[in-house]
Amino acid sequence: MKRGLITCFSSFLIAIIFSSNLIAQSTVTVGGKVTDATDNLGLPGVSIQEKGTSRGGITDFEGNYSLTVEEGATLVFSYIGYVPVEIEVGTQATINVALEVNPTELSEVLVIGYGQQEKGDVTGVVQAVNAKDFNKGAIVSPDQLITGKVAGVQITSNSGEPGGQTSIRIRGGTSINASNEPLYVIDGVPIDNSPHNPGGFSGGRNPLNFLNPSDIETFTVLKDASATAIYGSRGANGVIIITTKRGNAGSKTSVTYDGYVSVGQLSSSIDVLNAEQFRNVVTAKSPSRLSVLGDADTNWFDEILQTAVGQNHNLSITGGGENMGYRVSVGHMDQDGILKTSNTQRTSFSLNYNHSLLNDALTINTNLKTSLTKDRFAPNVVGSAYVFDPTQPVYDENSKWGGYFEYDNDLAPDNPVSTIDQTQDFGEAFRSIGNMEFSYKMPFLEGLSAKLNLGYDITNGERERFQPSTLRGQSSTNGELRREDYKRQNLLLDAYLNYKKNLENINSDFDVTVGYSYQDFVNEFPSFRAWDLDTDIFGLNSTSPATEFTASTSIQENRLISFFGRVNYSFMDRYLLTLTVRRDGSSRFGESDRWGIFPSAALAWRILDEPFAESLTKVFSNLKLRVGYGITGNQDIGNYRYLATYTQGDAMTSYQFGDQYVTTLRPNGYDAGLKWEETSSLNAGLDFGFFEGRLTGAIEYYQKNTKDLLFDVSVAAGANLTNIILTNIGEVQNNGVELSLDGVVIDKPNFDWNLAVNFSHNKNEIKALDQINDPNFEGYTTGGISGGVGNNIQILRVGEAVNAFYVYDHILDENGDPLVDGVDHNGDGTINLADMYQNINGDELVNDNDKRPYKSPAPDLLFGLTSSMYYKNFDFSFTMRGSLGNYAYNNVASNNGYYNRVITEIIPNNIHTSALQTGFTSPQYFSDYYVEDASFLRMDNITLGYTAKQLKNVQMRLYGTVQNLFVLTDYSGLDPETNNGIDNNLYPRSRTFILGVNISL
Amino acid sequence: MKKIIFPIITLLISMAACTDLEIEPKSSATSAVVFNDESSYTAFIAKVYAGLAVTGQLGPAGDADIKGIDEGFSNYLRQYWQIQELTTEEAVITWGDEGLDDLNAHTWTSANQFITATYYRIFFQVSMANEFLRETTDGKLDERGVSDETRALIQEYRAEARFLRALSYWHGIDLFGSIPFYTEETEIGSSAPEQVDRTTVFNFLDEELQAIEEDMVAAGQNEYGRADRGALWMLQAKLYLNAEVYTGQQKYTEAITAVNKIISSGAYGLEENYGSNFLADNHNSGEIIFSIPFDGERTITWGGMTYLVHAPVGGGMDPATYGIDGGWAGLRTTKTFVNLFPDVTGSLDTRAMFYTEGQSLEINDQFSFTDGYAIPKFKNVDAEGLVGSDLTHPDTDYPMFRLADAYLMYAEAVLRGGAGGDQSQALSYINELRARSYTSTAAGTVSADNFTLDFILDERARELFWEGHRRTDLIRFGEYTSMVWPWKKETKDGQASEEFRELLPIPSSELLANPNLEQNEGY
Repeated sequence: MKRGLITCFSSFLIAIIFSSNLIAQSTVTVGGKVTDATDNLGLPGVSIQEKGTSRGGITDFEGNYSLTVEEGATLVFSYIGYVPVEIEVGTQATINVALEVNPTELSEVLVIGYGQQEKGDVTGVVQAVNAKDFNKGAIVSPDQLITGKVAGVQITSNSGEPGGQTSIRIRGGTSINASNEPLYVIDGVPIDNSPHNPGGFSGGRNPLNFLNPSDIETFTVLKDASATAIYGSRGANGVIIITTKRGNAGSKTSVTYDGYVSVGQLSSSIDVLNAEQFRNVVTAKSPSRLSVLGDADTNWFDEILQTAVGQNHNLSITGGGENMGYRVSVGHMDQDGILKTSNTQRTSFSLNYNHSLLNDALTINTNLKTSLTKDRFAPNVVGSAYVFDPTQPVYDENSKWGGYFEYDNDLAPDNPVSTIDQTQDFGEAFRSIGNMEFSYKMPFLEGLSAKLNLGYDITNGERERFQPSTLRGQSSTNGELRREDYKRQNLLLDAYLNYKKNLENINSDFDVTVGYSYQDFVNEFPSFRAWDLDTDIFGLNSTSPATEFTASTSIQENRLISFFGRVNYSFMDRYLLTLTVRRDGSSRFGESDRWGIFPSAALAWRILDEPFAESLTKVFSNLKLRVGYGITGNQDIGNYRYLATYTQGDAMTSYQFGDQYVTTLRPNGYDAGLKWEETSSLNAGLDFGFFEGRLTGAIEYYQKNTKDLLFDVSVAAGANLTNIILTNIGEVQNNGVELSLDGVVIDKPNFDWNLAVNFSHNKNEIKALDQINDPNFEGYTTGGISGGVGNNIQILRVGEAVNAFYVYDHILDENGDPLVDGVDHNGDGTINLADMYQNINGDELVNDNDKRPYKSPAPDLLFGLTSSMYYKNFDFSFTMRGSLGNYAYNNVASNNGYYNRVITEIIPNNIHTSALQTGFTSPQYFSDYYVEDASFLRMDNITLGYTAKQLKNVQMRLYGTVQNLFVLTDYSGLDPETNNGIDNNLYPRSRTFILGVNISL
Repeated sequence: MKKIIFPIITLLISMAACTDLEIEPKSSATSAVVFNDESSYTAFIAKVYAGLAVTGQLGPAGDADIKGIDEGFSNYLRQYWQIQELTTEEAVITWGDEGLDDLNAHTWTSANQFITATYYRIFFQVSMANEFLRETTDGKLDERGVSDETRALIQEYRAEARFLRALSYWHGIDLFGSIPFYTEETEIGSSAPEQVDRTTVFNFLDEELQAIEEDMVAAGQNEYGRADRGALWMLQAKLYLNAEVYTGQQKYTEAITAVNKIISSGAYGLEENYGSNFLADNHNSGEIIFSIPFDGERTITWGGMTYLVHAPVGGGMDPATYGIDGGWAGLRTTKTFVNLFPDVTGSLDTRAMFYTEGQSLEINDQFSFTDGYAIPKFKNVDAEGLVGSDLTHPDTDYPMFRLADAYLMYAEAVLRGGAGGDQSQALSYINELRARSYTSTAAGTVSADNFTLDFILDERARELFWEGHRRTDLIRFGEYTSMVWPWKKETKDGQASEEFRELLPIPSSELLANPNLEQNEGY
């Protein structure tokens, strides 16, 4: 693997070196000052380039410059946000230039795959969120910075755990079994962002946590295929490009500190009975068991929750010299979770250094981001806090279970306080991601440049957990120690050529890119588990007291090799065409299916530039119509799935032959013909701006059709070696519209008010699931719930949304309450499901066949609203986010809200308050009563800040933020935002108060 | 422009060199390398056996063989047992797992997850056996230069793989009727197999078992855990005894021939104590002809004997008595079965091993453990009362075939008119069995007058209850759907069910995956 990469690298370097012979010419020296036309102040960092060459320079702090250029040259003065100016040098020795601010929003430069483009030239759906617009608050995972900011991008934290995992859907999910997460590209390095949950542990945290949010300059979201097809087999779920902050050549040195402290608490109340209510229920329902109750009054949630304190400090230095710019930052974050003991810490270091050489012909940009994250995981005891008898005490001094009260029965719930206090579960990861980008302007052909990007992403991590023998849950394993030390490595080489050419005679601009990319991933996961401990005293630190062991190692490798090309063609500056193609090869597929081609095409029309549109310019500042179509892929499945492999059994699945126990060897099922999922998508959009750019926005319509789904389906018995294999079957469609609006509501000297809103609607439908398209096929159930074993609450069925709920239609009484169980409502002499549930299919019985797909977790409408006001030295901003038409299954209620919890469980369990309303005696897991409308409006964050007037070049801003101030919802559970629509003992979310300061000098 | 050509060519060459996408897995073995180690053949045949006992490659759960179902549920023995017992009067279960009570109630559908798991388990076994046969052809062994010693062993293994395949095919036709049929001749990844009727599979099994008889190790001579000729004869006897159900042709004479081979081999003898066949040291039983071995540390699963020992323990039962760390409070029995015994205390017939304290005979609420008597038949303690090696996973082996069943089959085949045996011999076998279990031999002795087929059906329940035979027996006697027991068809006293339920439905997911299949009538 490494040898392959080195070969690639060295041959590419040879190619560069052979082309880099410079040519000498006769020259003159020219100098002057560049100013801002509005205030006549000098502009530092303006790029001055001798047209048609790679020679040039930049202005200094005062805006002055001096250059040696060829006689008769033309100089191009350009600066982001200003209109570029071209001036012929002629015989002048001094040229002063005043640059005009670019009046339209179109000059913003957007990062696209393997390049940059001015917003006005973009033909695909590309949306950037800059640092000043990020969400405020105590944010651990960077993806939370843009929650609610971008139309069509749904970012859901899977729980309230600090830095917990997040799921992101850009325009709905395209896949069922492969990943639906977008591709992340950080400073040009596509990363492997799959969360790693070491075997047997509860979930790890968000892999993006290593990145310090305050180092991020921009999130750029590529949404449609014409933008993402350049990422080919990884583009189907969209691409998020993260660009970190950098220093610019010529900029003055500045030092910035920002920091905050935060305090978080549970944001809502828990629906569980207190000791008195519980005693009353037991008295009423199972009086014989009153003797089992205790006489304490314990609120188990109070016992397991804490006030979450956090702090964050970042220090950065930015600056630049004549040919180079730099930024260095260090950060430290320490954040508690509201579940006792849970905590995450990050110490981060980042460096950007960019340098221009050979008269700007060669630029080298280096990024390095390194961080150490330390996590402490709290075991999820929310479930046992719900059910543990509130009349029992937390502690019992006579208990052999570490002094905690516990029942002497394996099937009884475990004391949640004991579990949380006695479990030691730590994670630690050292991650470093870095790259060097070389950009070389070829001297022999104007407009031709070569780029080389070398990157890596390496994580060395460990996860270790110790549970002592005094923990009730360890009664049969008698103390357990687990550890995994893992290593993940990703190496990247991108090499590409870019050629820009303006052909004035035919009114055309070309911008052509062709390239090659090589990326290699190697992951190693060695782990062990040791149990049956003679003593607990060594804790995490020694296995010597253990009498039982298992150990395993898994090594996972994959590689992606790609060739790509893009042509941006602009005719008369108003007809824009983009064509891209990527040919991707992935080691995850067999030889004949390894390579795929992913093309795209997009057209844009800048209507306002048409002569006939002159009259429109009074109203519009921008009007651009775009249409794009492309094919992207998804290859995010495990490795080696196409190969015939054997799996060795462990010692515990061996089989007795005489006196021997033989470990077994199993041939695994496989589909040798596996290939990509393919999503073809169409997008039509209109960018518009009114009133000289005071109101801008875009409206988009899209349709995405995914075929050859990588789907775990049943295979005919005998056709393979197992019953379910991953194969390419099925189709999913997503349709949607999006609207984004940005407006300047008030623009007065002392008062500014900006509003940004976005709306998106997506409809998701399964089009096919099998080869024969049997209309009677009921589909595959999915979405495991708590309660019983192996129960699924959702279904994948043709014609329905992915993961629609699959439930009975519960008959309601005259008050609108669901009919109670155990009563012969229909008077047929028997008590069965027909008494409570509608007979959907009309046969003589009510059974599994009478469930029907009912609602889905996907929202009909998502919206986000950001308001920012600036009044004198004060700033006030907030972000609200809403979701309409999303449904959630209240598994907490369905699994705890029935009286048999008190009557027939081995030990009386506390019940969910819903039982008081429903009166259910037995669990009704499949009742649609538990599928609730989980529409919500959430005040994500609200901030008030004050900026002190400049005191000797020091600028200071103080601010206070409240995160998750309120949620408006009809949903009866703890929080309407759930992971995939199933609310099952989630780590509760907190409301957080933050006080912070930014200082820059 | 010439300057540009050289770098571009170099670049193109470099690209061509950088297109290697071949990555061999490091921590799992491909078929190309795995048989470089000759012990792999033993490990592979062990998997074909282990498919009956465990659920995947990690114990007690992990890397499951069968997907789409809770791994503990996907266990061969657990599901075969549930189909054979929960659908009869012998067992009911409290748990609310989806589709589980449908087995008790005879209301299952083609979507039932337990029936689906049973189906896929059966064909997983067939596929494993076929793959073993494909990998051990003479051609392949020559190619790999396998040593003579290993080749001799492989000859035995091949016969055993064919035996295990036949065992599962028998389960297949018994439960599902017409089934997909394929052998080692069918390549992996090829099109879906054709459906074949019961008679065709029956004839294949008939020939197959005769063909491998010589290659099987002699009765009682193989290593413990591996099948021998005794196991083969038992399977033949089972097939012949039920031949009329499967093919419409009686084969009672052939059944008697097979049973005679077992008995005359002298390899087996009744245990002195009935209960010792179901204890943690039952591998010592001289009565067990073929078993599925379990071990508390080395062969563990959430199905298998872990299920059979834990699930019947609940209510006031003390788990320690049964050598386990806790009961699962699931399995009990109906009064229909209890009433087959002269008394429930076991003071007369010791096979009446009911736990009645705090349990009611009547089942008013099928989801309450204390409704219905419990039966702690399988225990994780040995004859000395010592507990097995682990409190969660028992050491107790599952007695799939035992001599008592052979005696009962002999008697039944004789009563049904088979040749090669006689009634007095049959009666003496039965009285031998009853004498063992009755505290008074006189009370246990059956007279020739009472020695009828109806008696045989009841006696099979008394002797073989909870050993996975009941459904097949009831069908052979025509009682499976017509007989009534509590909660059949979801009513407290029970109702007869539809005749088509003698066959299970082919799972709906399988119908979808294999368009060649036709669903059984009624589903």
